[in-house]
Amino acid sequence: MLAALFAAAALIPVGYVIQAAFAMGWEQFAELVFRPRVGELLTNTVLLVVLGVPCAVVLGVGGAWLVERTSLPARRVFAVLLVVPLTIPAFVASYGWASAIPSIHGLGGGLLVATLAYYPLVYLPALAALRGLDPALEESARSLGMNGWRVFSRVVLPQLRLAILGGGLVVALHLLAEYGAFAFLRFETFTTAIVVAYQATFAGPNAAALGVVLATLCFVVLVIEATARGRLRYARVGSGTPQPASRVELGRVTPLVIAALVVLIGAAVVVPLANVARWLFATDASDWQPLLNATWQTIALSVGGAVAALIVALPIAWIAARYPGRTARALEGAYYVASSLPAIIVALALVTFTLRVLPAMYQTVFTVMAAYVIIFLPRALVSIRAGIAQVPENLEEVARSLGVSPFRAKLRVTVPLLLPSLAAGAALVALGAANELTATLLLAPTGTRTVATGFWAAASAIDYAAAAPYAITLVLLSIPAVVLMFAQVKARRSR
Amino acid sequence: MRNRLIRTAVAPVAVAALLLTGCTSTGENAASDAPADAATDALVIYNAQHEQLTEEWTAAFTEETGIEVSLRNGGDSELSNQIATEGAASPADVFLTENSPAMSLVEEAGLFAPVDAATLELVPEQYRPSSGAWTGIAARSTVLVYNPSMITEAELPSSLMDLQDPTWKGLWGAAPSGADFQAIVSAVLAVEGEDATRTWLEGMHDNATVYNNNIATMKAVNAGEVPVGVIYHYYWYRDQAGTAENSGNTKLHYFGNQDPGAFVSISGGGVLKSSTHPDEAQQFLAWLAGTAGQTILGEGYSFEYPVSTGIPARSPLPALDTLDAPTIDPSTLNGADVVELMTEAGLL
Amino acid sequence: MMLHLTDVSKSFGATTVLTDVSVAVERGTRLAIVGASGSGKSTLLRIIAGFEGPSTGTVSLDGRLLANPVSTVSAHRRGIGYVAQDGALFPHLTVRSNIAFGLRRSPGRDARVREVMDLTSLDLELLDRYPHQLSGGQQQRVALARALAPAPTVILLDEPFSALDTGLRAHTRAAMVTALERSGVTTILVTHDQEEALSFGQQLAVISDGRLVQAGPPSEVFDAPISAAVAEFLGAALFLPAHTSGPARAVCALGELHIRHDHSHGTASVRAMLRPAQLHVREADGDGDARVVAARQNGSAVELELRLGDGFTLTHRVPLYDAHLFPVGSAVAIRVDGGVVLYPAAATSETLGTAFAR
Repeated sequence: MLAALFAAAALIPVGYVIQAAFAMGWEQFAELVFRPRVGELLTNTVLLVVLGVPCAVVLGVGGAWLVERTSLPARRVFAVLLVVPLTIPAFVASYGWASAIPSIHGLGGGLLVATLAYYPLVYLPALAALRGLDPALEESARSLGMNGWRVFSRVVLPQLRLAILGGGLVVALHLLAEYGAFAFLRFETFTTAIVVAYQATFAGPNAAALGVVLATLCFVVLVIEATARGRLRYARVGSGTPQPASRVELGRVTPLVIAALVVLIGAAVVVPLANVARWLFATDASDWQPLLNATWQTIALSVGGAVAALIVALPIAWIAARYPGRTARALEGAYYVASSLPAIIVALALVTFTLRVLPAMYQTVFTVMAAYVIIFLPRALVSIRAGIAQVPENLEEVARSLGVSPFRAKLRVTVPLLLPSLAAGAALVALGAANELTATLLLAPTGTRTVATGFWAAASAIDYAAAAPYAITLVLLSIPAVVLMFAQVKARRSR
Repeated sequence: MRNRLIRTAVAPVAVAALLLTGCTSTGENAASDAPADAATDALVIYNAQHEQLTEEWTAAFTEETGIEVSLRNGGDSELSNQIATEGAASPADVFLTENSPAMSLVEEAGLFAPVDAATLELVPEQYRPSSGAWTGIAARSTVLVYNPSMITEAELPSSLMDLQDPTWKGLWGAAPSGADFQAIVSAVLAVEGEDATRTWLEGMHDNATVYNNNIATMKAVNAGEVPVGVIYHYYWYRDQAGTAENSGNTKLHYFGNQDPGAFVSISGGGVLKSSTHPDEAQQFLAWLAGTAGQTILGEGYSFEYPVSTGIPARSPLPALDTLDAPTIDPSTLNGADVVELMTEAGLL
Repeated sequence: MMLHLTDVSKSFGATTVLTDVSVAVERGTRLAIVGASGSGKSTLLRIIAGFEGPSTGTVSLDGRLLANPVSTVSAHRRGIGYVAQDGALFPHLTVRSNIAFGLRRSPGRDARVREVMDLTSLDLELLDRYPHQLSGGQQQRVALARALAPAPTVILLDEPFSALDTGLRAHTRAAMVTALERSGVTTILVTHDQEEALSFGQQLAVISDGRLVQAGPPSEVFDAPISAAVAEFLGAALFLPAHTSGPARAVCALGELHIRHDHSHGTASVRAMLRPAQLHVREADGDGDARVVAARQNGSAVELELRLGDGFTLTHRVPLYDAHLFPVGSAVAIRVDGGVVLYPAAATSETLGTAFAR
């Protein structure tokens, strides 16, 4: 019952978009959708996804393979450095780049910043998959006379398909939904256009019409991923292997590879952080109280959002992992669509919904939590579902055969085994919530100021110095969550 | 089977809830304590003016009267539309904007309570609507910012309308997504009529480089990305008074001549009918229009023009009545029509 | 009589997995249920454990109804222990906590843990190890110790040795059977391994295609398989075309032999089943009964391929040191001890084998 209720609530934004589209009628809808402007946005958005996702996949998979399967020197250091961009929100990265090179803009700029910010979303699952991969496969491929590159392309890459598809999907959805980073770089996508439309008319027909197109795009991305995934499931079987994988000798290309990695990390980490640091020194902040308040509010909101998302995600992930079928997939797909809608649409839907149905909930923490759950649910879902799939079903049965009730069996066996993936899922949600901008602005109780909204207020007024303390706080707040996620990937093998 | 499925689905929720209740309650309490408690009894202002300016105002107001104020920040259009959507349920007591079309929108929705007559008397008639549903609290002038290293004074356009000419292709910048520029378009509409405005917007779509906001536009002119930009005056004066890092290479050009490009936009303030603190709200508005509030404009950080009689603008601003602005009743400026025209032209 | 299954059937949707299975297990005895994979034996075990409910029929323990199609006693209230194929040790708990999992918090708990570890021949040094630090055999013994710890009335073993490699399997099986014997607990084992089933306990049940085809003491079942398929499933068997030649006598390529059991149900054409161990081969003086057509060395033995007079060939193993007596081409005499079991004739023995496996 509870699960069903949560499930229905998460679909409010999808319903909102559909209802808004129908409410305006075909004529007005067509007028708003079939115009040159939408064509421009469509070109931009499609190019962004079509170019951005492969770039992120190449960087993510390449990085994971280099640190996990080659003789790269200092690979432990690189393994950590490659995940660091995850601590830098995309809009902070674009602020760093824009303040370093003010002329950076458009598709090129958007691609650069977004790819650098999002490739870790492929890197992490690829790393996890490589760690879980039985090296015996690669060894037997080599014994069949394949060289390092062919082993990678013929054996390793196909095994990474799930990780690549999953990571690529997440990157694609991020690209579709990102606002702040692209707004800075004057790169117009559907999401930035929807925010502009919202600023002009609030919940007007233009925003809704663009929302319908964007939701359709998200749906297309989901369908492409599902088709490519075929009947593969995310559950990974295998007991792990004690012997370490043999590594490909990089030999003479070692300096080249190191140089490439240094450039990558320089662009993804050093440029944004150095610029934040530069502005930080220019800050004449005497009053840290607002920042401190914002930090506390951010922590409270994101932790609350993470917990709420876990509570909703658990039963859905459970059904998806244990009872896979058409219904479970449709349910999951619906959540992906809902969450891939830009935060602004989710927020508008919740404003409309609370005002009409639950006025007492309007501009309360509850509504903000609901928005976080809707926007970030897939992050928790993916993580928890993988966790559940890795807990053998018969453990609970065995526990029951030992005289332990089903509830206590879950509590004593499944929950402890799920804790790492619950923690990782919570970390992902908390990370997203801490960096969330538009829904927080629109839904939070009057007077709420999170670090992200504080940053945005200063940065969009091009007051780089005032934004810097908020930027660095966002980075610092992200670190624990990223450390947790990375530790979980690293722990794969020992289990 | 189904029964079992439901049981397996609900149990983990219960478990998670059980395990995590501690976190949830502390988390949510912490989140709601600060803002919510402040909000329940404080005067809620939906603020579309610059945060820094409104904070200067409210800090002084609270100090003087002891009335706590809570701000919800946003842009003109979004907040006005939000109030319209909220209707009678709006938590807002006071609404402050940068431009008048947003005020008109709320006025047309019938959500404003009449402003106290004593407050209206403080503001000259040309800076407030005849209806008395709201009042002007500040004013700003449209200007052309230009980079003298790219364009000479003689080459500058004589009217804002000239910028639709193909010779200006790629040579000017503006921020059409902001309510500021939309107010300027509403002036074009009011002065030149619908057809001329439509043509002008189409020209703009072809010619102009689009920026996020006035500062970004000014910065681009300063950096030499485009020779001229259409902005409001105070961004330039603020930057000049500070480090001048975003305007050091630029100069201002006033169109004057009652050109639409000389449009003076009125920032408005009004009290919501649904306000739960109507007396304090009226008191705040009176204070804004009064000497204390207007002096902050004349002396403070903002460089916006005071509108009340007898309060001089901050130096070195040219006096408001020397700008030769077109005469437009603020309540006739129509935001919705402008948004529609701009959407049609592909600017939104 | 204590554990009683009466006419238990189970279907999942349109698929019928078990049909009218009835079994009775005496207190303190061990029953092995053997069947090919997919025969429904694991489902049967899961119904006894309480993880599934029967579609029809009942399960009762000491007269207490455990399950019928309408209501079931939950798994955790049955007092029936369960050891899964892979051991299913809780990976987040030490050996000590795994074994103590089903025990109430009490002063005697640790002593009981040590007691069952001793019973299952587990070294106490393993107490604080985690499952991934144990060998496969140790994992299975911990799983058994864990199941034994709460002193259940019945223990169910679901192919507990199948994941182990050959050497470890025999060793672990021996250790576990000893532990079960010493604890005196009623045990049901399911397996697809005939030898394991035949050597496990007092009772053997053969299950095929969801039906219980034969049950009884292992020696009886092995001696008188109810069908040719069962006979072949339980171990290497020779089938020779035959006809009856008198009371309790049958004639086949190996001569006239005594009929030990007759399962031919009076069909006209029959075949005789005998086990390789019943054959005794020696050099023949004259033509003999068969001719050696091939010889393959196989470790300490040599496999001879013998062609009988009617063209039927069979393989027979002789010790390496006797191999020189049977050069290829030589004639041999064959003696058969212990008589034969008669079954109706069928097309070929291969189809029988596959029919069973299905």
